[in-house]
Amino acid sequence: MTDLLSYRDLVFALVVRDLKVRYRRSTIGFLWTMLQPLLTMLVLSMVFSALFRFDLPNYPVYALAGIMFWNFFSQSIISSMNSLKGNAHLLTKIPVPKAVFPLATVIAGIVNLLFAMVPLFAILVVTGHSIRPAVLFLPVSILLAALFTLGAGLLLSPMAVFFYDTIEMINVVMTLLVYMTPIFYPMEIVPEHYRWAVRFNPLRSVLEVFRDPIYNGKIPPVSHLTVAIVVTVLALVVGVVAFRRSSDRIPFYV
Amino acid sequence: MTTDRKVVEVRGMSLCYRLAKQKIPSLKEYAIHFIRGSLAYEELWALRDLSLSIGEGETVGVVGRNGAGKSTLLKVVSGVLKPSRGTVTRRGWVAPILELGTGFDFELTGYENIYLNALLLGRQRKEIDERLEQIVEFSGLGDFLRSPIRNYSTGMLARLGFSIATAWKPDVLILDEVLGVGDARFLKRCEQRIEGFHQAGTTILIVSHDPDAVRKNCRRCLWLEQGRMVADGPTEETLDRYKRFSEGKETVPQV
Repeated sequence: MTDLLSYRDLVFALVVRDLKVRYRRSTIGFLWTMLQPLLTMLVLSMVFSALFRFDLPNYPVYALAGIMFWNFFSQSIISSMNSLKGNAHLLTKIPVPKAVFPLATVIAGIVNLLFAMVPLFAILVVTGHSIRPAVLFLPVSILLAALFTLGAGLLLSPMAVFFYDTIEMINVVMTLLVYMTPIFYPMEIVPEHYRWAVRFNPLRSVLEVFRDPIYNGKIPPVSHLTVAIVVTVLALVVGVVAFRRSSDRIPFYV
Repeated sequence: MTTDRKVVEVRGMSLCYRLAKQKIPSLKEYAIHFIRGSLAYEELWALRDLSLSIGEGETVGVVGRNGAGKSTLLKVVSGVLKPSRGTVTRRGWVAPILELGTGFDFELTGYENIYLNALLLGRQRKEIDERLEQIVEFSGLGDFLRSPIRNYSTGMLARLGFSIATAWKPDVLILDEVLGVGDARFLKRCEQRIEGFHQAGTTILIVSHDPDAVRKNCRRCLWLEQGRMVADGPTEETLDRYKRFSEGKETVPQV
């Protein structure tokens, strides 16, 4: 993994290819990245304001920020698993640092997240939500989200090569996780005796650090920030160590 | 041109494929076997305790029957596989051509694949810009390069693959039976290019089933049998012994 730096041009090319494929597939590909979270937001807003009724000022913004974060996380994890699996044959023929594939997918995910920021800010303006200087903190939030996701991707992607059902299993875990993370509901609606489950969810702090500057217009509180940093560093260390230990075996499993 | 400088050094190297006794392709089955404590593996040693050193500018052929470990040896020397025991050191840029066109993206055009493939081989974008014309010229594919390579024939893919992989003079060139495709004229150009590298001091390592190809290209030849080195010497000597063995006149000393 040490010579990743000398392969930076390759990583860049893989990112470009990833984006090209994503946007070439459908005629409205580029528009879809912006449209999909908006439509989800619309559905959620209708469901939650009509059915469940919790008092959350400007719920669409709350939900949209959460959805964008979730899309970035879940899509990056699944595609980094697919990318390593899809290139496993190549790794039996060319000595290329294996981490370029998960790394490139996470970077492509960030680019997508940035595209999806455009409609988010449009919604902020339309709903009259005040945009405060705290949004300048967003690059830090996105960096933390990216590193956390990269760590998880490095941990999981070799497993996708070793066992064919890993991606299915992770999909199930993702479904569970989306409900265990306060993405489209506020923490307050979780009954007191279940709240620990959400509180110990490592993803939650990383999410709040991303949403705070947008929704609350403030720099994330030290409590969330500290947890997010610790969780991110931990994910990255575990991911890098696991990847180094297991990735040498990839060519044997193809 | 041969000097004393060693470019490839292999010491006490063994490589083991660890095969699960039961097939464990899924995470669920793995978990079940893990809990039961019934994870058993069969070890298949593809290479056993090999040591060799190859000097700058040497031409080395590798012969042996199917499954003797020839391709595995090339993979370990290229750095694709990590040895289970022992060490392998390389100096300089190694161009492994274990299969032509690995890493091609069939949705991309020939031009786009030139970049992608060369980047996978460890080149930088700027270097590729500088060599692009030469790669295009050598491949002889002309306007075809503008269309997606899914329309290419096997021969065309091989030409493109070879043109990219050999666009830069490698310090070590590793070839695994890849020169069987393409027409006679292109084959000749490939051979000329390899010969040019040899003149310029590139170390060449070739696996081939064709004794004539080894005779023509290599001064030194290794013979592998069941992962062990049976012979390592001048090409004629090794090939003679290998030929006698193939005809049943010589037996391999059992270790």
